[in-house]
Amino acid sequence: MPDMVTLTIDGQTVSVPKGTLVVEAARQVENLIPVFCYHPKMAPVGMCRMCVVKVGTPKMDPATRQPVVDADGKSVIAMMPRLQTACTTPVSEGMVVVTQDSEVEHAQRGVLEALLTSHPLDCPVCDKGGECPLQNLTMGWGPGKTRFDYNDKVHFEKPVPLGDLIYLDRERCILCARCVRFQDEIAGDPVLGFYNRGRAWHIISQSDPEFDSKFSGNTTDICPVGALTSADFRFKARVWELQPIPTVCNHCSVGCNMTFDTRSNDIKRVMPRENDAVNEIWLCDRGRFGHHFNTSKQRLTTPLVRKAGKLQEATWEEALSIVAQQLDGIRSTTGGKAIGGLAGTSLANEDLYAFQRFFRETLGSANIDHRSGSALDLPLDDAGAQYGIRSGTDLSTLGKGTVVLVFGADPEEEAPVHLLRIRGINTRGGSVITLNGRPTKLDSIAKHALRYKYGSESAILAALLKPLLDSTPADGKRATLRGFNDLVAALKGFNLDEQASGISADKLNTVAELINSAENLVIFYGRDALTAGASVPAGLANLLVMTRKAGATNSGLISLLKGANARGALDLGVRPDRGPNYAALSNAGLDAKQMLSAAREGKLKALYVAGVDPVGDNPAAAESLKKLGLLVVQELFLTETAKLADVVLPVLSVAEREGTYTNAERRVQRFRQAIRPTINARPDWQILQALANQLVSEAVLSAAGGDKSRKQTRREEDKARVRSEWTYASPAEILMDIQANVAGYKGVSYASLQGPTGQWGRQANENYYFDGTSYQNTGGLGVQLPAAVETSSIQTLQPFSVSTPASVADRPWTLVGATFLYDDGALLTDTDLLNNRKAKAVVALNPVDADKLGVKNGERVTVSSGRGSLSLPVHRTKLAPEGVVVVPVGVNNVGLVSVVEGGATPVAIRREA
Amino acid sequence: MPKTEIKEHIVMRNRDIENIRDLDVYLANGGYAMAKQALTSMTPAAIIDEVKKSGLRGRGGAGFPTGVKWSFVPKELNPKYLVVNADESEPGTFNNHEIIDENPHQLLEGIVISAFAIGANVAYIYIRGEFAYGARFLEQKIAEARERGLIGKNLFGSGYDVEIYVHRGAGAYICGEETALLESLEGKIGQPRLKPPFPAVAGLYAKPTVVNNVETLTNVPRIIEKGADWFRSFGTEKSPGTKAVSISGHVKNPGNYEIPLGITIREFIFDWAGGMRDPNLPLKFIIPGGASSNWLTEEHLDLPMTWDDMAAAGTMLGSGAMVVLDTSVPVVRAALKVDEFFKHESCGKCSPCREGTHFLVKVWERIDEGHGRVGDIELLADVGKQMLGKCFCPLGDSSVSAVNSAIKFFRPELDAAIDAQH
Ligand SMILES: Cc1cc2nc3c(=O)[nH]c(=O)nc-3n(C[C@H](O)[C@H](O)[C@H](O)COP(=O)(O)O)c2cc1C
Ligand code: SF4
Ligand code: SF4
Ligand code: SF4
Ligand code: FES
Repeated sequence: MPDMVTLTIDGQTVSVPKGTLVVEAARQVENLIPVFCYHPKMAPVGMCRMCVVKVGTPKMDPATRQPVVDADGKSVIAMMPRLQTACTTPVSEGMVVVTQDSEVEHAQRGVLEALLTSHPLDCPVCDKGGECPLQNLTMGWGPGKTRFDYNDKVHFEKPVPLGDLIYLDRERCILCARCVRFQDEIAGDPVLGFYNRGRAWHIISQSDPEFDSKFSGNTTDICPVGALTSADFRFKARVWELQPIPTVCNHCSVGCNMTFDTRSNDIKRVMPRENDAVNEIWLCDRGRFGHHFNTSKQRLTTPLVRKAGKLQEATWEEALSIVAQQLDGIRSTTGGKAIGGLAGTSLANEDLYAFQRFFRETLGSANIDHRSGSALDLPLDDAGAQYGIRSGTDLSTLGKGTVVLVFGADPEEEAPVHLLRIRGINTRGGSVITLNGRPTKLDSIAKHALRYKYGSESAILAALLKPLLDSTPADGKRATLRGFNDLVAALKGFNLDEQASGISADKLNTVAELINSAENLVIFYGRDALTAGASVPAGLANLLVMTRKAGATNSGLISLLKGANARGALDLGVRPDRGPNYAALSNAGLDAKQMLSAAREGKLKALYVAGVDPVGDNPAAAESLKKLGLLVVQELFLTETAKLADVVLPVLSVAEREGTYTNAERRVQRFRQAIRPTINARPDWQILQALANQLVSEAVLSAAGGDKSRKQTRREEDKARVRSEWTYASPAEILMDIQANVAGYKGVSYASLQGPTGQWGRQANENYYFDGTSYQNTGGLGVQLPAAVETSSIQTLQPFSVSTPASVADRPWTLVGATFLYDDGALLTDTDLLNNRKAKAVVALNPVDADKLGVKNGERVTVSSGRGSLSLPVHRTKLAPEGVVVVPVGVNNVGLVSVVEGGATPVAIRREA
Repeated sequence: MPKTEIKEHIVMRNRDIENIRDLDVYLANGGYAMAKQALTSMTPAAIIDEVKKSGLRGRGGAGFPTGVKWSFVPKELNPKYLVVNADESEPGTFNNHEIIDENPHQLLEGIVISAFAIGANVAYIYIRGEFAYGARFLEQKIAEARERGLIGKNLFGSGYDVEIYVHRGAGAYICGEETALLESLEGKIGQPRLKPPFPAVAGLYAKPTVVNNVETLTNVPRIIEKGADWFRSFGTEKSPGTKAVSISGHVKNPGNYEIPLGITIREFIFDWAGGMRDPNLPLKFIIPGGASSNWLTEEHLDLPMTWDDMAAAGTMLGSGAMVVLDTSVPVVRAALKVDEFFKHESCGKCSPCREGTHFLVKVWERIDEGHGRVGDIELLADVGKQMLGKCFCPLGDSSVSAVNSAIKFFRPELDAAIDAQH
């Protein structure tokens, strides 16, 4: 329990933790003090002066240092001579605050009148109208009439663009600096500033390109007026006509809570929904603006069936029965093993569960995966679930005592809102360590920003583990750690090669100490770490075990997998080697890569692809797919893979249906249907259910041909395999099935996901002026699943070994494929606003290296590995360390996929003539 | 009453010793000996103690005891900085200017001693942008002193380093306010910071910083040389020492004077500054301590010029800039000019000042131009009330001084100005 302080606000007694600001204390007694510049997520600045109140403190006797008491034994209160800003005044014991009396109201009226003198009052055409703190506070606290002359208002050119995404109307700006402070303090992109002074004081962008930040949209939420509006929502709708539907962002693994604000069955804007445990009140610009795919004209609108070599429109009955018959045919002739299935990480848990059931039960095939079979696929990550961040952890509460280790990850690009959360932990007194192969934005706040050389990741981890091992007492403690001796053996004789790893052993010892002494240890790892070999996630898990943080409160791994629901896919067994809940399988199926080679060799007859685009990811996959007897694609868009399909089944998007996702922190969250589908598409699970039921029905069996007795046995077999006919009426029922059959999801239901909704104890509407226009979370906070280690008493160290990559003499450079937030992924279809920000098809090369090669910006180089080569223009940048070339993943026409070998790849570089 | 004689000038020693601005002359008159003594044979604590004992109060406006301010600096946090406030932008103030141009080495010596006392190795002189000559001149003086080993590394063999840099402002009055000054010095937009933390704890680059006025620091070598008791032989018990005061307006002899604190306003205007310029135009009112201060009139002439007496009369000694105005001055015009200044200088950070100063000027302007409206005086008073004490920093509050003073002393004239129009 923190130290509590008791004070009186307007006669009511309140107790609040020491350090609480008067403005926050007043919210607890439901006496709102009006604010403009104050924002609960940022340091107070006391600029707007709206929150002035009367404050008094007990009078102290200077001699005795005791409060002076009156005849009744009550403390004598000395009122401060001036009004005080409630947003900058911390509470103190015995304080007396008056928020409502004529003097206070007079002053507040003055501030509002002052603000309105420079305000254009163009509410009728202002996007903020209806959810505008200035409007609301004027109604509550403002003067009914102004004494200022209308023509004395300040004038500026009406909205000027601050970059592509945001417009600034300087006449509407009340100069509260919330936007500037958000960028400085929270986003860590100090790209906004002020210019000039007095009434001419105004906001400017000071970056090139303008407003260069992935979080710019948040400023439009917290701006207390309509000075900042988004290019996406400007003039699209009046806010009171919008219906906010709770949903979850499906662009990355953070799983930000948001709403689709709809009108006339159209998504007008995306707004954050408060969830302190996930995104607080923030969204990144991809999540906010990347909703246009839902309503894209390029969506598939009806089933397609290949006839006479061409995909032609068909009815669902026709399309489904073709698929069912053909699958049944293959199943009865070659068995399930000739059928493969890929279901992607944008699919809901309910779809994924249905998918693996369909394969394992209905088709009798273990060949399932959620990846596309390209060289850029990430390995299956189990550590993130076994040693995942402990359930109940709320990163927004962590600070002092917490160490965040970011290993081989670039949260800004891979999971942007995590960047904000890591920065928040740092602001609250935690420490950040970045251990990366290349620079990232987090380095600037890191206590230790260390740069390893690609290939030395396991050696770095060994160097961190070794001192922890050495300091573990020989007694009983070691016995409680399963695998201790194996780890000792693996590290026997290990000595860090400082030259090869790029970091000194001393430095790593310091880091190990810091990690070891931390109260909480949170480890983020991303693409670079995941592709650096199995020992990396294992080593990270071992760090947790060795520091006694595995399964401990507020500690654990957060794996930044690609895709919103990659964790769901892993949890629910959309993978060849394990069933739901990571259950071991006696016979593993083929993974995506193996399926493609099996197809090429003619062993795989049918491939069923849902939300994955093997050909888009790797054009070479087309050759394999062309060999198939049946290619079924279940999709939003006519992807490169869909173009080759025999049957294309259109699905509903996240906005048109409901379901759940499991995020990187293993929080299961629910999204709801926001708009009515206007196309002839179906949710993934429904399609799978229809097929599953057709495949056991009489019709299919008879159509399959063969003699009667064979038919009879087949039918018995199928009945045994299929528990029963699928009768899911909604995703909620599938989730009930999941919670009954998948141990990790026990107890998770649409009811429990609804969860507690109260955040910050706020009153109706007050969010407008306290945190901006983000929505209160009425759609549920979700449920965080426990990590496996939380429930086991013995801690297991993961198999770990140090590998040293052999250097390849004629390939002295290292090629790294990097994730960028703005890529050419299908989910950004029709979000043209972000086009200028998309990663370019270039090779990032350090200027020193570029000079060595004699290449200027824009000149082409050939990069070749043992597998192949690519040719791209050069972008000289320090973001590529010397000796490393960085090429974006997920960007069209880079050819990366035919060059990389797993993770960091030795390559040769040649300047093209 | 005969004019109080000042035995010698403490800060404007240029008035006693010709060419003291030249290093050789300064050295010949004991220059830098106190720096040497302080750095080689005194502890910082002893220096602070002596300054505390002297009762030296900050000359920049607020009159805060200098030694006490120095003792707020936390020992354990490093580096520390000394910042010299040479922004001198209060209308009517030009005494720092004279010290810089005529007695620069005493200022520099004061900086060296004070930096040592607070544990700073670097001092910045933040000088008003318009003082281009003064800035170059100071740089030249610093260079001369550095050449002779009086500023720089290992001073007087003490092992202590003091570097002094000159930084020019860009022409904003608000940058005289110490936290806005620090922002500006850091290269940011010049606007005041929220306090606490105070600069002594987290100032320049969030490090412990002492900000002192030019005149304040120029006192320091003499206090070390002659002791606190000598210093206290000038001035009064609570306002010891002298004050460089700039007087302007309708007096016979405007200019800078170094007065012993505690003389009356009457003595200062009539005995020191020669009295009113035009015998036919009597005194109307006095802006006693810079444009920010509340006005005084004839009835206050016997007020002693000390921090406390001025405060008790509802005004302030401020920056030591007295503007004396005779009956030729219309009150409305005077108030307009004062508020125009604040409007022009409002940094814009807080709403009451940014908009309020603009509004006050609008109303003064219309009265001045003959378009005053019935109720305008009440309006000025009401807006003033909504500003006073509600602004982020004293600048905004200062703009209300003219409003309140004009209404307090010249209500009939104001009413007449409006009535004349109806
Ligand atoms: C609006 C404003 C302007 C100021 N201008 C100056 C100035 O030009 N010179 C100065 O020394 N102090 C000025 N001050 C006072 C400083 O904030 C600060 O109190 C002073 O530099 C402290 O030095 P001292 O303790 O030596 O007086 C100003 C204060 C305000 C509020
Ligand atoms: S643009 Fe909005 S958030 Fe930024 S300073 Fe102006 S009113 Fe405040
Ligand atoms: S951080 Fe990820 S989940 Fe959140 S808004 Fe951005 S893309 Fe969506
Ligand atoms: S009172 Fe005026 S000068 Fe001071 S912070 Fe406010 S706007 Fe700026
Ligand atoms: S000054 Fe407190 S809310 Fe702006």
